[in-house]
Amino acid sequence: MPRFHFDIQENGRLIADDEGREFAGGEEVRKEAVATGASIARDAFMAGSACRIVVDVREENAPFLKVSITLDVEEPAKA
Amino acid sequence: MSGDEIPAALVKRLRAASGLSEQEIMAIHALPILVREYGAERAVVSEGQRAVECCLIVRGFCARSKTTSEGRRQILSIHIPGEIPDLMSLHLHVMDHDLRTLTPCTLGFVHHEALRLLYRRQPNLADLFWRDTLIDAAMFREWIVNVGQRPAPARLAHVMVELRERLKLIGRVEGSSFEMPLTQEQVGEALGITAVHANRVIKQLRQDGIVDLHRGRVDVLDETRLLELAGFDGRYLHQSPAL
Repeated sequence: MPRFHFDIQENGRLIADDEGREFAGGEEVRKEAVATGASIARDAFMAGSACRIVVDVREENAPFLKVSITLDVEEPAKA
Repeated sequence: MSGDEIPAALVKRLRAASGLSEQEIMAIHALPILVREYGAERAVVSEGQRAVECCLIVRGFCARSKTTSEGRRQILSIHIPGEIPDLMSLHLHVMDHDLRTLTPCTLGFVHHEALRLLYRRQPNLADLFWRDTLIDAAMFREWIVNVGQRPAPARLAHVMVELRERLKLIGRVEGSSFEMPLTQEQVGEALGITAVHANRVIKQLRQDGIVDLHRGRVDVLDETRLLELAGFDGRYLHQSPAL
Protein backbone atom coordinates (compact mmCIF):
# COMPACT_ATOMS: atom_id res chain seq x y z
CA MET A 1 0.00 0.00 0.00
CA PRO A 2 1.28 3.49 -0.77
CA ARG A 3 2.54 5.61 2.10
CA PHE A 4 1.30 9.16 2.69
CA HIS A 5 2.74 11.92 4.84
CA PHE A 6 0.54 14.59 6.40
CA ASP A 7 2.51 17.79 7.08
CA ILE A 8 0.49 20.23 9.15
CA GLN A 9 0.88 23.99 9.28
CA GLU A 10 -0.75 26.18 11.91
CA ASN A 11 -0.39 29.85 11.01
CA GLY A 12 2.61 28.86 8.94
CA ARG A 13 4.35 26.86 11.71
CA LEU A 14 5.13 23.49 10.19
CA ILE A 15 4.94 20.13 11.95
CA ALA A 16 6.28 17.60 9.46
CA ASP A 17 5.10 13.99 9.41
CA ASP A 18 8.20 11.87 8.96
CA GLU A 19 6.62 8.47 9.57
CA GLY A 20 3.58 8.67 7.30
CA ARG A 21 0.75 6.15 7.13
CA GLU A 22 -0.44 3.64 4.60
CA PHE A 23 -3.77 4.10 2.86
CA ALA A 24 -5.62 1.85 0.45
CA GLY A 25 -6.66 4.64 -1.92
CA GLY A 26 -6.82 8.34 -2.68
CA GLU A 27 -10.39 8.71 -1.39
CA GLU A 28 -9.34 7.51 2.11
CA VAL A 29 -6.43 9.97 2.06
CA ARG A 30 -8.74 12.86 1.11
CA LYS A 31 -11.19 11.96 3.92
CA GLU A 32 -8.39 11.69 6.49
CA ALA A 33 -6.91 15.04 5.41
CA VAL A 34 -10.26 16.88 5.56
CA ALA A 35 -11.28 15.35 8.90
CA THR A 36 -7.82 16.03 10.37
CA GLY A 37 -7.83 19.64 9.18
CA ALA A 38 -11.34 20.18 10.53
CA SER A 39 -10.58 18.79 13.99
CA ILE A 40 -7.26 20.63 14.32
CA ALA A 41 -8.97 23.83 13.12
CA ARG A 42 -11.72 23.39 15.71
CA ASP A 43 -9.19 23.28 18.58
CA ALA A 44 -7.03 26.07 17.17
CA PHE A 45 -9.92 28.41 16.33
CA MET A 46 -11.61 27.88 19.71
CA ALA A 47 -8.35 28.50 21.57
CA GLY A 48 -7.47 31.42 19.30
CA SER A 49 -4.04 29.87 18.72
CA ALA A 50 -4.23 29.98 14.90
CA CYS A 51 -6.59 31.11 12.17
CA ARG A 52 -5.22 29.14 9.24
CA ILE A 53 -4.64 25.39 9.08
CA VAL A 54 -3.04 23.64 6.13
CA VAL A 55 -2.81 19.86 5.78
CA ASP A 56 -0.27 19.18 3.06
CA VAL A 57 -0.26 15.54 1.98
CA ARG A 58 2.69 14.00 0.15
CA GLU A 59 3.01 10.55 -1.34
CA GLU A 60 6.66 10.01 -0.42
CA ASN A 61 8.05 13.31 -1.75
CA ALA A 62 5.50 14.12 -4.43
CA PRO A 63 2.67 16.52 -3.51
CA PHE A 64 -0.64 14.62 -3.38
CA LEU A 65 -3.24 17.07 -2.08
CA LYS A 66 -3.56 20.11 0.14
CA VAL A 67 -6.43 21.08 2.43
CA SER A 68 -6.56 24.69 3.70
CA ILE A 69 -8.98 25.95 6.34
CA THR A 70 -9.15 29.63 7.25
CA LEU A 71 -11.09 31.34 10.01
CA ASP A 72 -12.72 34.49 8.76
CA VAL A 73 -14.82 36.49 11.21
CA GLU A 74 -16.45 39.66 9.92
CA GLU A 75 -18.00 42.21 12.23
CA PRO A 76 -19.80 45.30 11.01
CA ALA A 77 -17.96 48.50 11.93
CA LYS A 78 -19.38 50.02 15.14
CA ALA A 79 -20.79 53.52 14.87
CA MET B 1 -1.04 -19.56 37.14
CA SER B 2 -2.37 -20.65 40.54
CA GLY B 3 -5.98 -20.20 41.60
CA ASP B 4 -5.24 -17.26 43.88
CA GLU B 5 -3.43 -15.29 41.17
CA ILE B 6 -6.42 -15.20 38.84
CA PRO B 7 -8.56 -12.82 40.92
CA ALA B 8 -5.54 -11.13 42.60
CA ALA B 9 -5.90 -7.77 40.80
CA LEU B 10 -9.69 -7.81 41.33
CA VAL B 11 -9.26 -8.36 45.06
CA LYS B 12 -6.55 -5.68 45.26
CA ARG B 13 -8.74 -3.17 43.43
CA LEU B 14 -11.96 -3.87 45.33
CA ARG B 15 -10.15 -3.90 48.67
CA ALA B 16 -8.68 -0.45 48.00
CA ALA B 17 -11.73 1.14 46.37
CA SER B 18 -14.56 -0.32 48.39
CA GLY B 19 -13.18 -2.43 51.27
CA LEU B 20 -13.42 -6.24 51.48
CA SER B 21 -13.70 -8.58 54.47
CA GLU B 22 -11.62 -11.78 54.70
CA GLN B 23 -14.78 -13.80 54.15
CA GLU B 24 -15.58 -11.87 50.97
CA ILE B 25 -12.05 -12.36 49.67
CA MET B 26 -12.40 -16.10 50.28
CA ALA B 27 -15.72 -16.13 48.43
CA ILE B 28 -14.12 -14.40 45.43
CA HIS B 29 -11.26 -16.90 45.46
CA ALA B 30 -13.78 -19.73 45.49
CA LEU B 31 -15.50 -18.48 42.30
CA PRO B 32 -15.25 -20.95 39.43
CA ILE B 33 -13.24 -19.05 36.80
CA LEU B 34 -12.45 -20.48 33.39
CA VAL B 35 -9.21 -19.03 32.02
CA ARG B 36 -8.68 -18.44 28.30
CA GLU B 37 -5.84 -16.81 26.39
CA TYR B 38 -6.54 -14.20 23.69
CA GLY B 39 -4.36 -12.56 21.06
CA ALA B 40 -4.20 -8.78 20.60
CA GLU B 41 -7.10 -6.97 18.92
CA ARG B 42 -9.54 -9.87 19.20
CA ALA B 43 -13.26 -9.73 19.95
CA VAL B 44 -14.17 -11.05 23.41
CA VAL B 45 -17.90 -10.41 23.14
CA SER B 46 -19.62 -8.44 20.39
CA GLU B 47 -22.65 -6.22 20.02
CA GLY B 48 -25.83 -8.25 19.58
CA GLN B 49 -24.39 -11.33 21.28
CA ARG B 50 -26.19 -12.92 24.23
CA ALA B 51 -23.71 -13.18 27.10
CA VAL B 52 -23.88 -16.04 29.63
CA GLU B 53 -20.64 -15.22 31.42
CA CYS B 54 -18.69 -12.18 32.63
CA CYS B 55 -15.08 -11.56 31.78
CA LEU B 56 -12.43 -10.73 34.39
CA ILE B 57 -9.21 -9.32 32.95
CA VAL B 58 -6.33 -11.25 34.54
CA ARG B 59 -3.52 -9.96 32.31
CA GLY B 60 -3.48 -7.43 29.46
CA PHE B 61 -5.64 -4.53 28.33
CA CYS B 62 -9.12 -4.46 26.74
CA ALA B 63 -11.36 -1.73 25.34
CA ARG B 64 -15.06 -1.34 24.89
CA SER B 65 -16.20 0.24 21.64
CA LYS B 66 -19.12 0.89 19.38
CA THR B 67 -19.06 1.25 15.59
CA THR B 68 -21.44 3.51 13.65
CA SER B 69 -23.31 2.34 10.55
CA GLU B 70 -20.67 4.24 8.50
CA GLY B 71 -17.99 2.07 10.07
CA ARG B 72 -16.49 4.69 12.39
CA ARG B 73 -15.38 3.20 15.68
CA GLN B 74 -15.57 5.03 19.01
CA ILE B 75 -13.59 3.54 21.89
CA LEU B 76 -15.72 4.01 25.02
CA SER B 77 -13.38 2.84 27.75
CA ILE B 78 -10.02 1.19 28.39
CA HIS B 79 -9.82 -1.73 30.82
CA ILE B 80 -7.01 -3.13 32.92
CA PRO B 81 -6.37 -6.25 35.01
CA GLY B 82 -8.79 -6.70 37.91
CA GLU B 83 -11.72 -5.17 36.03
CA ILE B 84 -14.86 -6.94 34.81
CA PRO B 85 -15.83 -4.77 31.81
CA ASP B 86 -19.00 -6.70 30.97
CA LEU B 87 -20.37 -7.11 34.49
CA MET B 88 -23.59 -5.43 33.33
CA SER B 89 -24.28 -8.41 31.05
CA LEU B 90 -25.53 -10.17 34.19
CA HIS B 91 -28.61 -7.94 33.94
CA LEU B 92 -28.45 -6.62 30.36
CA HIS B 93 -28.56 -9.87 28.44
CA VAL B 94 -27.74 -8.80 24.89
CA MET B 95 -24.52 -6.84 24.37
CA ASP B 96 -25.05 -3.24 23.16
CA HIS B 97 -21.35 -2.69 22.35
CA ASP B 98 -18.15 -4.65 21.68
CA LEU B 99 -15.52 -5.79 24.15
CA ARG B 100 -12.14 -6.35 22.45
CA THR B 101 -8.59 -7.02 23.57
CA LEU B 102 -5.96 -4.35 22.91
CA THR B 103 -2.98 -6.55 23.83
CA PRO B 104 -2.55 -10.30 24.31
CA CYS B 105 -4.75 -11.08 27.31
CA THR B 106 -5.44 -13.73 29.90
CA LEU B 107 -9.16 -13.55 30.59
CA GLY B 108 -11.12 -15.31 33.32
CA PHE B 109 -14.75 -16.14 32.58
CA VAL B 110 -17.32 -16.45 35.35
CA HIS B 111 -20.67 -17.94 34.48
CA HIS B 112 -23.65 -15.71 35.32
CA GLU B 113 -25.14 -18.49 37.49
CA ALA B 114 -21.97 -18.58 39.61
CA LEU B 115 -22.18 -14.81 40.14
CA ARG B 116 -25.88 -15.01 41.09
CA LEU B 117 -25.06 -17.73 43.62
CA LEU B 118 -22.24 -15.58 45.02
CA TYR B 119 -24.63 -12.63 45.35
CA ARG B 120 -27.16 -14.74 47.25
CA ARG B 121 -24.54 -16.08 49.65
CA GLN B 122 -22.72 -12.76 50.06
CA PRO B 123 -25.25 -9.92 49.65
CA ASN B 124 -22.56 -7.44 50.63
CA LEU B 125 -20.50 -8.50 47.60
CA ALA B 126 -23.56 -7.93 45.41
CA ASP B 127 -23.64 -4.35 46.74
CA LEU B 128 -19.96 -4.04 46.09
CA PHE B 129 -20.22 -5.18 42.48
CA TRP B 130 -23.17 -2.84 42.06
CA ARG B 131 -20.99 0.00 43.31
CA ASP B 132 -18.37 -1.11 40.78
CA THR B 133 -20.80 -0.74 37.86
CA LEU B 134 -21.82 2.69 39.21
CA ILE B 135 -18.18 3.78 39.21
CA ASP B 136 -18.01 2.44 35.66
CA ALA B 137 -20.93 4.76 34.78
CA ALA B 138 -19.17 7.68 36.50
CA MET B 139 -16.16 7.03 34.27
CA PHE B 140 -18.40 7.13 31.21
CA ARG B 141 -19.78 10.52 32.31
CA GLU B 142 -16.25 11.83 32.53
CA TRP B 143 -15.42 10.29 29.12
CA ILE B 144 -18.38 12.18 27.57
CA VAL B 145 -17.22 15.48 29.09
CA ASN B 146 -13.71 14.74 27.85
CA VAL B 147 -14.61 13.93 24.25
CA GLY B 148 -17.31 16.60 24.04
CA GLN B 149 -15.64 19.57 25.69
CA ARG B 150 -11.86 19.36 25.99
CA PRO B 151 -9.45 20.20 23.17
CA ALA B 152 -7.55 17.19 21.83
CA PRO B 153 -4.28 17.57 23.82
CA ALA B 154 -6.22 17.96 27.10
CA ARG B 155 -8.39 14.99 26.12
CA LEU B 156 -5.35 12.75 25.70
CA ALA B 157 -3.79 14.07 28.92
CA HIS B 158 -7.01 13.29 30.82
CA VAL B 159 -7.25 9.73 29.47
CA MET B 160 -3.60 9.19 30.45
CA VAL B 161 -3.95 10.50 34.01
CA GLU B 162 -7.14 8.51 34.61
CA LEU B 163 -5.51 5.31 33.35
CA ARG B 164 -2.52 5.94 35.62
CA GLU B 165 -4.72 6.47 38.70
CA ARG B 166 -6.47 3.17 38.00
CA LEU B 167 -3.21 1.31 37.35
CA LYS B 168 -1.85 2.68 40.66
CA LEU B 169 -4.62 0.87 42.53
CA ILE B 170 -3.35 -2.50 41.26
CA GLY B 171 0.33 -1.57 41.70
CA ARG B 172 1.15 -1.18 38.02
CA VAL B 173 2.83 2.24 37.93
CA GLU B 174 6.63 2.38 38.09
CA GLY B 175 7.83 5.86 38.99
CA SER B 176 6.60 8.19 36.28
CA SER B 177 6.01 5.44 33.73
CA PHE B 178 3.04 3.18 32.97
CA GLU B 179 1.49 1.12 30.18
CA MET B 180 -0.98 2.54 27.68
CA PRO B 181 -0.92 0.03 24.83
CA LEU B 182 -2.91 1.96 22.22
CA THR B 183 -1.86 2.50 18.62
CA GLN B 184 -2.22 5.99 17.11
CA GLU B 185 -5.32 4.71 15.37
CA GLN B 186 -6.79 3.61 18.72
CA VAL B 187 -5.83 6.88 20.43
CA GLY B 188 -7.78 8.58 17.65
CA GLU B 189 -10.75 6.26 18.17
CA ALA B 190 -10.71 6.96 21.91
CA LEU B 191 -10.51 10.74 21.52
CA GLY B 192 -12.86 11.02 18.53
CA ILE B 193 -10.18 12.40 16.21
CA THR B 194 -8.37 11.02 13.16
CA ALA B 195 -5.21 8.92 13.49
CA VAL B 196 -3.25 11.74 11.84
CA HIS B 197 -4.56 14.26 14.38
CA ALA B 198 -3.77 11.79 17.20
CA ASN B 199 -0.22 11.48 15.89
CA ARG B 200 0.12 15.26 15.90
CA VAL B 201 -1.20 15.59 19.46
CA ILE B 202 1.18 12.88 20.72
CA LYS B 203 4.07 14.68 19.00
CA GLN B 204 3.06 18.05 20.38
CA LEU B 205 2.90 16.76 23.98
CA ARG B 206 6.35 15.20 23.53
CA GLN B 207 7.82 18.38 21.98
CA ASP B 208 6.31 20.49 24.75
CA GLY B 209 8.08 18.26 27.31
CA ILE B 210 4.83 17.22 29.05
CA VAL B 211 4.43 13.52 28.34
CA ASP B 212 5.86 10.91 25.96
CA LEU B 213 3.64 8.11 24.60
CA HIS B 214 5.91 5.66 22.88
CA ARG B 215 5.44 1.98 22.01
CA GLY B 216 2.50 1.56 24.35
CA ARG B 217 4.15 3.24 27.35
CA VAL B 218 3.64 6.65 28.86
CA ASP B 219 6.53 8.56 30.40
CA VAL B 220 5.47 11.63 32.33
CA LEU B 221 8.00 14.38 31.67
CA ASP B 222 6.34 17.19 33.61
CA GLU B 223 3.79 16.13 36.22
CA THR B 224 2.55 19.63 37.08
CA ARG B 225 1.89 20.63 33.48
CA LEU B 226 0.27 17.26 32.70
CA LEU B 227 -2.25 17.67 35.55
CA GLU B 228 -2.86 21.28 34.60
CA LEU B 229 -3.49 20.36 30.96
CA ALA B 230 -5.78 17.44 31.86
CA GLY B 231 -7.79 19.46 34.38
CA PHE B 232 -7.98 16.18 36.29
CA ASP B 233 -10.07 15.78 39.43
CA GLY B 234 -10.12 12.10 40.41
CA ARG B 235 -13.19 12.28 42.63
CA TYR B 236 -15.34 10.52 40.01
CA LEU B 237 -13.16 7.38 40.32
CA HIS B 238 -14.34 6.93 43.94
CA GLN B 239 -11.11 5.10 44.78
CA SER B 240 -11.75 4.77 48.51
CA PRO B 241 -14.65 3.31 50.54
CA ALA B 242 -15.19 6.81 51.99
CA LEU B 243 -15.87 8.36 48.57
